Amino acid sequence: MITEKGLWNRLRLRLLFTGPTLFAFLAVMIIPFLYGIYLTFTNWDGISTSSSMVGFDNYLSVFKDTVFWKTFLLTLEYVFISVVLINIVAFLLAYILTSGLKGQSIFRAGFFIPNLVGGIVLGFVWQFIFSNVIVFVGKEMSIPLFSNSWLADPTKAFWAMIIVTVWQYAGYMMVIYVAGLMNVPKDILEAASIDGASLWTKMRKMTLPLMVPSFIVCIFLSLQRCFMVYDLNISLTKGGPFKSTEMVSMHVYEKAFLSRDYGVGQAEAFVLFLLVATITIAQVYFSKKLEVEA
Amino acid sequence: MKSLKWIQAIALMLMVVMIVAACGNKSGGSDKEAAVKITLLNSKGEIQSQLEDAAKAFKEDNPNITVEIIPVPSGQSPFEKASALYASGNPATITMLDTGDVEKFKDRVLDLSGEKWMADTVDRSTALTTFDGKNYAFPLAIEGYGFIYNKAVVDQAVGGTFDPASINTTNALEQLFQKIEASGKAPLIISPMDWSLGAHYLPLAYAGQSADTEAVAKFVNYLKAGTVDLASNNVFNGLLDTFDVMTKYNIDKASPLSGTYERGPEVLGKGEVGIWFQGNWAWPQISSFDTANGQYGFLPVPISNNPSDFGNTQISSAVSKRLVLDKEKNTAEQQAAGKKFLEWMVYSEKGQDFLVNKANIIPAFKNITLEAKDPLAKSISEYIANGKTEDSMSTLPADHWAKIGASMQKYLAGAGDRAVLTKEIQEYWKTVK
Repeated sequence: MITEKGLWNRLRLRLLFTGPTLFAFLAVMIIPFLYGIYLTFTNWDGISTSSSMVGFDNYLSVFKDTVFWKTFLLTLEYVFISVVLINIVAFLLAYILTSGLKGQSIFRAGFFIPNLVGGIVLGFVWQFIFSNVIVFVGKEMSIPLFSNSWLADPTKAFWAMIIVTVWQYAGYMMVIYVAGLMNVPKDILEAASIDGASLWTKMRKMTLPLMVPSFIVCIFLSLQRCFMVYDLNISLTKGGPFKSTEMVSMHVYEKAFLSRDYGVGQAEAFVLFLLVATITIAQVYFSKKLEVEA
Repeated sequence: MKSLKWIQAIALMLMVVMIVAACGNKSGGSDKEAAVKITLLNSKGEIQSQLEDAAKAFKEDNPNITVEIIPVPSGQSPFEKASALYASGNPATITMLDTGDVEKFKDRVLDLSGEKWMADTVDRSTALTTFDGKNYAFPLAIEGYGFIYNKAVVDQAVGGTFDPASINTTNALEQLFQKIEASGKAPLIISPMDWSLGAHYLPLAYAGQSADTEAVAKFVNYLKAGTVDLASNNVFNGLLDTFDVMTKYNIDKASPLSGTYERGPEVLGKGEVGIWFQGNWAWPQISSFDTANGQYGFLPVPISNNPSDFGNTQISSAVSKRLVLDKEKNTAEQQAAGKKFLEWMVYSEKGQDFLVNKANIIPAFKNITLEAKDPLAKSISEYIANGKTEDSMSTLPADHWAKIGASMQKYLAGAGDRAVLTKEIQEYWKTVK
């Protein structure tokens, strides 16, 4: 193929293989993305037949929209706590389930299942648990912490979201960690045991450094998913009580579709994209430096 | 090998044919020349199956017209779905919109001023969808809201037959609550959904400003301009005084925000509470828990202690759902079929039966004399017949219910006092474009 002469001949063959995917990618990702950026310069409301260019006014409104920044900070807090908890729980689960426990593959499947349930359904299931099941149990056994719905209190509703998020993603990340743990060479671990290394030393000096690629992937995935949380937000708390758990994606959505301010909504989405892209790229870039070879 | 190539070629051809056939569905059914297929986007989820039955009944009368009912998925607003359909170049022939959204679509929908049913509409039912003298929408359903009472519970509380007209002041309402409490039941339940508080309860403060709708519209404009001082507004304060009384007697006062919509009809229907703030659309849910032999009715929400003040004896009601006909992508035949369907609902026996008996709708047409079977619609109809109504605010900004609803929740939970609520409402109105 490389030996074929002429630009067209080479291009033709490549287009044959990558063309369809390229077309789909352009049509559903790149063009809407560019069109979205174009919309940020207009004042379109979503239905009217005409709209006018407004320059950078929409971006100015983004910086003036205090609620946007408030929800962004709340999202940051949510992302930070969730990412840490997801990865700790997932790693512990993976560690336990690779230690040769009886029936470990059943447990692995069990912990993975929440990830197969969609966020919306999951939200409704947990809404029922938080506002009915837990309240019922709390009242029967008179535990004050559980006798009122968690979803009715701003702080507890925020933690309810974190609990569900961790429960949802820990299983998925666990699978990646399981794969990572199984790839840690047994021979060096054995050699270390013979040298008298304790379990903790082996973990700290060998397993963890060799698992860095898994950590990078898992932290990246959980970062990105938590930043973009919307389905769980809408179905579990609806942003309530009184907008105290409204995450930034939900705010952007409401700006565009509820307040019918497409331009500002799009601009906020674009700003959010830039912020999230910066954070995740920085994370991948810096943690790549931690990788080691066995 | 050769035969394999043949199979491949045939498979490819089949695929192409299928794709072409799938894309070309508009040309389908060409054997019946006059067959017309129209679509109706339904945003009133609770009447989906009734509408489908109505479409069948309509087809019996008009064999060449098929009406397909498309539901708006729950969680999506009618505006969102309708604008998405327009954006994809595939709008429904008939679209069911909320009153406030009609104006946005006015360049894309038919002028219906010349239709026969225009002469039979009830007063003011098309005023909000008339722009430059042209009416763009068909008023489908009148809905009203207020305090729904369970007659069995309140009868027991007052020791005799309860007279709804006796509740015309905040004090009278509080006394009723006390009597219900004394009879061993919880007085009322406040459902804490943002739409209920933000789109129904608080707007009573705007609508109650004056019996004159022009004056109410002016009041809203002053709110936008930021020249209204709500803190010293009597109607607003009166309404919140009533809300304070409600909060005090709320069955869920220990955790006022934990309730869900589903809890309301359950406790009211079972007679655990006497009163629920909600509208006539809640009847299907209440009826499934009913223990009062279908004896329910509405009380107005009082805003002062002077019985003659506007709002104390009036029930809030308005046309809430409207139908518009697309003129951009639908053919002239489809548009004509759509008009026929609207006429069929108003003038044919089957159409009226669908509206009143099947879908429990309070129609906005004077010529329909069928009496509603469900007690809530009946109660609203009685208030309308007696002229005791206050127009609900149906053209509020689209995000009003969510934003103000959140502020009201904060007030209900005690996380913000009246000053905070007043400030948030005034701030909100300043951001409205």
